[in-house]
Amino acid sequence: MSTDALLAARGVAKAYGSVVALRSADLTVGAGEAHALLGANGAGKSTFVKALTGVIRRDRGTITMAGEPVELRSPAEGYERGIAAVFQDPALIPDLTVRHNLRLTGTDPGAVRQELAGLGIEGIEIDERVADIPLPFLRMLDLARALVHRPRLLVLDEITAALPADLAEKVFTAMARQTRTGGSVLFISHRLEEVIEHCDMCTVFRDGHDVARFAPQEGREARIVQSMLGDRVEAEVAAERSRRNVADGVTPRLEVEGLSAGDLLRDVSLTVRPGEVVGLVALEGQGQDALFETLAGDRRPRAGSIRVEGRPLTARHPAAAIRRGIALVPADRTLALLPKRSIRENIALPSRARPARWGPISRRREDRSVNRAVERLSIDTRAAAQARRLSGGNQQKLTIGRWLAEGFRTLLLFDPTRGIDIGTKRQIYDLVREIADSGAAVLMYTSELREIELVCDRALVLHRGEIVAELPADAGEEALLNAAHGLHRDEVTTG
Amino acid sequence: MTTPTPQLTTMPAPTSRAARFRQQHGWVVGVAVLLAAMILVRYLQVERFGGFELRALTAGTLMLALLAMAQGVVVLSGGINLAVGALMVLANCFSAWLMEDASVATCLVIALATVVGTAVVSGLMGWLVTVSGMPDIVVTLALHFVFVGVALLILGGPGGGTNPDFSRMVVGGYSDPLPSLLWLVAVFLLVWVPFRRSRAGIATYAVGSDRQAAFLAGIVVARARVQAYVLSGVFAGLAGIATTASLGSGSPQESIALGALLGSVAAVVLGGVALAGGRGGLLGPVLAAFVLTLIPAILLSAGANPNVAVLLEGLIIIGVVMLGGLLELRRRKQ
Repeated sequence: MSTDALLAARGVAKAYGSVVALRSADLTVGAGEAHALLGANGAGKSTFVKALTGVIRRDRGTITMAGEPVELRSPAEGYERGIAAVFQDPALIPDLTVRHNLRLTGTDPGAVRQELAGLGIEGIEIDERVADIPLPFLRMLDLARALVHRPRLLVLDEITAALPADLAEKVFTAMARQTRTGGSVLFISHRLEEVIEHCDMCTVFRDGHDVARFAPQEGREARIVQSMLGDRVEAEVAAERSRRNVADGVTPRLEVEGLSAGDLLRDVSLTVRPGEVVGLVALEGQGQDALFETLAGDRRPRAGSIRVEGRPLTARHPAAAIRRGIALVPADRTLALLPKRSIRENIALPSRARPARWGPISRRREDRSVNRAVERLSIDTRAAAQARRLSGGNQQKLTIGRWLAEGFRTLLLFDPTRGIDIGTKRQIYDLVREIADSGAAVLMYTSELREIELVCDRALVLHRGEIVAELPADAGEEALLNAAHGLHRDEVTTG
Repeated sequence: MTTPTPQLTTMPAPTSRAARFRQQHGWVVGVAVLLAAMILVRYLQVERFGGFELRALTAGTLMLALLAMAQGVVVLSGGINLAVGALMVLANCFSAWLMEDASVATCLVIALATVVGTAVVSGLMGWLVTVSGMPDIVVTLALHFVFVGVALLILGGPGGGTNPDFSRMVVGGYSDPLPSLLWLVAVFLLVWVPFRRSRAGIATYAVGSDRQAAFLAGIVVARARVQAYVLSGVFAGLAGIATTASLGSGSPQESIALGALLGSVAAVVLGGVALAGGRGGLLGPVLAAFVLTLIPAILLSAGANPNVAVLLEGLIIIGVVMLGGLLELRRRKQ
């Protein structure tokens, strides 16, 4: 086993100041193997990848490639040692053209074009500015650039997170080709089905250690999740929640009538009552962005009306919507946080910003509500100095939880669990339910159909800018999916 | 688990060549048109528009144009250099101190040594910025005062001199606009253009655009940033030599350094370089330097009150930049 190991990492450790990100992790990747690296947010995956590829220097531990020690000082050095990585953050400079970007890394444009053609990607113009190319294609460009260097070890850190299914398939094809020719792949993804389908082995990290190593096909989701969560694992019970019947007489918190906005959104009507979580299901680009932006006051509608607690809302600015108690949590967490400020400040920010309140802020009052929120969120405050040091999951808990501190009554969640590990996801589900139970109205768009049943009371389906169906939360993923494609329920059974 | 996306994802049509040109060079074309219009106005204003007028324009702009390049290259790399004016004054005083009563050949050697000196000093400044982790604004502002102080130590007061033939060589005689223009074009074509096309030049843009992505792409970020400061020092040193040649002496005055610095920032902004870094070029700032030199001349000839002229100058700068911003906004909305 260890004789034909390509990559062998032993006891790799890294601490940022007093925060230990990686305690002591081993990882072995065999030659010709597609190896998955799994773990909850904050388990140390990203830190390990960074230490492996020379983005950061590790504190301790040895890394060898085919028996030779590897000590990279920058990702560029990895190319020579046979390690090429596609990072979570794009390594393409937005203001430069594709050609200049390739020049920067000494990559031959012709070879990249060939790799792209091999992946079945066409139409990327080499003199186009990177900022003008959609993100999924930048990821493919990143991949092609890595492949050109003919790496022995291809590191893919969350590459599929930003990819639609057909492009993700192309990534898997490239992975298969890489392993067929004797190379290896280190694959990091939150999508377990991808790992089970396309990886030969997996290593699971937890709390900065490697805790398990097995073939994912054997253990399937259950074993993977169990390893990731450790003793935190619990059976997934969605049903225990008592479904409250919201009385019809109650004034809806949010009433939307005949709303049209943007290019797509047409004649949308919906209501959300206090204590209710309404799920919104839609494929990519069906107008959900425009709907949420309009409700949050970030975009003006072309037609229709929005009523909040019975009174019309004509928000020209998010501040106006916030004043009426409407809070938006965007999918991109970094948009909502002040990355360089503390957790406390980030929690206190919305209440400080409430335009209704003037004069100096009572430090004591603020502390009280912030402490309550921190306690409730069970956020790891070791990194309290700056919000950007939190893991993605904790950041998202922060963006949702801070609205708790000030009692916002209408919450708009836009795909709140995107790119978040299973353990943190559950905490977020609980959080959303708790917010609703305290009397708030929640409208939640999700790209994971399972969440409809887990979190929501009912589901609305948006297709080509129109609400095409309303389904109960337990309608099942298939029915939801069919509706999202604009098919009728009857067609489900026949097809 | 996740929603499968059934439709095939296709790459949107690439932007047309025309659109790309508009986007990359539109601002420079705009500034060039503005400059042409102003030269036309000046031509109509002045009775006998000829060599004398043109020489006043080219020689009068040479210093600011070089300084705009000195500022521009650092801004492109995502920083700012508040010491460009002081570096220029330092180069001016140092060269004037040595060039007094020197032969033309000696003057050339001194000029070369001065430029090398400012390049080294500026490079050290850049190194200090990247190593110390202090904000570039703080470091360069502090060094602004240091450089002016050193200039004062060298000359003690206005003084020094240069060889008149050397002066003529650099900024031309009474009505000869060509030398200063040729020097500017030469510096632009022989220093900036090759640099911009090199990997080092692309790296400068890269660190200005997205430092993290640049690092991940394998650029040594600190080196790229220091390079920008070195080049900035070269341009600022050349601006100092131009000043020595045009004044015929050295002036160790803080007000000159400050005025030159503000002029350089104005030219960079007017020239379409994004203050956030990574976008623009140096042709825009150079053209903008000409515009900035022409504005007061035109206003004064038009009979504007000199006090009002300063105010109008400011309003014109804001107006042009806002117009550019509005056009950019409209483009993005489409």
